[in-house]
Amino acid sequence: MISRRHALRGTAATAATAALITAGAPGAFASDKVYRIGITLPLTGADAEAAHLILNGALLAIKLANSSGELKGVTLEPMVLNNATATAGQYDPAQAATNARKLAGDKSVLANVGPEMSGSGKAMAPILSMADLATITPSSTAPALTDPQFAGEFVPGGKPIYFRTVTTDAYQGPNMANFYAETLKVPSVYVLDDSGAYGVGLADAFAAQAKVKGIKVLGRDRLDPKAADYSAVLTKIKATNAASLYYGGTMQAAVKLVKQSYQIVPGIKKGGGDGILSPEMMTAAGFPAAEGWYATNASPHVVDDPKLASWVALYAKTYGVQPDDYAITSYDAALVAIAAIKAVIRSGKPLTAANVRNAVQTVKINGLQGPISFDKYGDLSTRVVAVFQFKQDKSAPLADMDKQTVYIGVAPQS
Amino acid sequence: MTGSAIFLQQIVNGVSLGAVYALLALGFTLVYGILELINFAHFSVFMVGAFVALVVLQAFGLQGQSVVLHGAPLVLVLLVALVVTMVASGALGVMIERYTLRPMRNVKGPMAMITTIGVSYILFNLVLLATNAQAINFPDPMPAASYHVGGVVIRLKEILIWIVSAALMVGLNLFVKRTRLGKAMRAVAQDAEAARMMGVDVDHVVMIAFFAGSALAGAAGMIFGLYYNFAQYSIGYTAGLRAFTAAVLGGIGNVPGAMLGGIVIGLIETLGSQYIAARWADVIIFSILIGTLVFRPAGLLGMLAPNRS
Repeated sequence: MISRRHALRGTAATAATAALITAGAPGAFASDKVYRIGITLPLTGADAEAAHLILNGALLAIKLANSSGELKGVTLEPMVLNNATATAGQYDPAQAATNARKLAGDKSVLANVGPEMSGSGKAMAPILSMADLATITPSSTAPALTDPQFAGEFVPGGKPIYFRTVTTDAYQGPNMANFYAETLKVPSVYVLDDSGAYGVGLADAFAAQAKVKGIKVLGRDRLDPKAADYSAVLTKIKATNAASLYYGGTMQAAVKLVKQSYQIVPGIKKGGGDGILSPEMMTAAGFPAAEGWYATNASPHVVDDPKLASWVALYAKTYGVQPDDYAITSYDAALVAIAAIKAVIRSGKPLTAANVRNAVQTVKINGLQGPISFDKYGDLSTRVVAVFQFKQDKSAPLADMDKQTVYIGVAPQS
Repeated sequence: MTGSAIFLQQIVNGVSLGAVYALLALGFTLVYGILELINFAHFSVFMVGAFVALVVLQAFGLQGQSVVLHGAPLVLVLLVALVVTMVASGALGVMIERYTLRPMRNVKGPMAMITTIGVSYILFNLVLLATNAQAINFPDPMPAASYHVGGVVIRLKEILIWIVSAALMVGLNLFVKRTRLGKAMRAVAQDAEAARMMGVDVDHVVMIAFFAGSALAGAAGMIFGLYYNFAQYSIGYTAGLRAFTAAVLGGIGNVPGAMLGGIVIGLIETLGSQYIAARWADVIIFSILIGTLVFRPAGLLGMLAPNRS
């Protein structure tokens, strides 16, 4: 799952990116062979703003690789495909599948960056797998996509093609349990989810690790995301004297849970996953109810790191918006593709999607977020989960994620 | 909390929840009693009512949880919002009846009911598009006062909900039982043809029933917003289906039955969450709906719908 976090950080630089796409590859030599890297994102509708921040990250990496001349005799051209549709109003897995077929059918496409959402990833993975075409996602975190248990469904071609520059929900939940035990030092927790695949998986993973860390799990219940009244569950939690609450799920149930838990169990520690790291926490749930809630992200929080200041400035200058953490994981995703292409060129093998996929599997680079390599299923070897806390900044707009949250640190890895 | 305090707290939670269901159930029952029509548009009138109240309260400068009023200004603002919401929702109900249902009045079969489903979806989608499917933070002008009785917490909000809901329900009951118009309503319910021959303006009576039912749905929408502090396009469906279950449980067409059914469903939901698990709430509630239909089709208090000749 990935939500609309940071969606309102800046206005989408649609015009700027469109100009860049049509300009093709600056610095290309006429004699260069042109190859393509697909970029598949929901560029219109509800996800558009976040998707453009991701798009810019990948475009910047490709642009810099072309102008540096490091890809001797080869010019890379971004092939940008929109996987949102007007009927869905947001990302549309059916359109993602169509795009995947387009990419798989084009011999000049060597790799793909995207998609943003796990739902699109599930539609694309089987098609890309049959074509042996690697995709590197900067943000989709559903564990199933790379879980060997579901290989028949998502990797019918046999070799992993779904690589990620973020970690998965299989770490997001447990690492947060470590944070509850080691940093918040809570003796007990009550665990809720929103009945969705993402929420149930995240909450189960959290609860299992919480038990390992010696936190007493006092209860495990499920909210109907469409129901309005959670007072009964919250009264039950109050009666258990739980020291904390963990919620796996998205904003639909969270809006009500946050409001009502503020009234019924105001004193206890509360937290959730990246499903609640969303502007709706402030605009719909609202302060003071949202104050103090913890939430995680499946990537390191590096956008404010002084070491990246020059990169952030370059990004902002080129596209007219401030990047977010997933613009960085997207830049890293494109770097992975470029590094793999370079490795194939160096080895003297023909430049095909299948050879690039093999090279992606063994890539070892230093990305903006740190060292990047993949395990044998395609998951990122480093598993960093960043923890944030909602804290009202009355001088900033309510929907400004950057201002209304405080970065706490990296959740302890088990 | 002690065992008995938990139990009593869940009773308080359940009665508040049930009050909203009961207000909503009255509209189903009123229309069914007269037209034998299950009005699914009622769900959406409730939801639209919540948004009307939201707009009125925002017009008073109330945004989110930032402004809290006390005393006379609070009562005045809430009263104005309640009246505007009820009139607007009532008018919406009358329009639905006049333009989509009256032309169907004499059509046999489920046509009219299907029409109400269509109307419901139109309203649902209009609000979805207008709000971009986002949950909206509902103003909360009431002071966060609460009273501790034993281990039980009763909030000022809850007391207000009980009072307003009870007043509206008793008012409706008196209206149906005691007034001339109420008598006309009961006459139409019994036999529209005979009532018409006795000089009752049937169209007028049906219109009044839609107005009253929809106005109550609007009031329920506003109470919902104030109590839960959010409004969203989807609130009508969950609450509406449970209210419908409440109406069937109490005996559809029966006004006191709808009230009783609402409270019972609210209590089942909270006590079920406490002593079984919240994830079973829907299973329990809708099993009760089916059980009622199978074993006691007339509901707890019996259908008021009289014998038709």
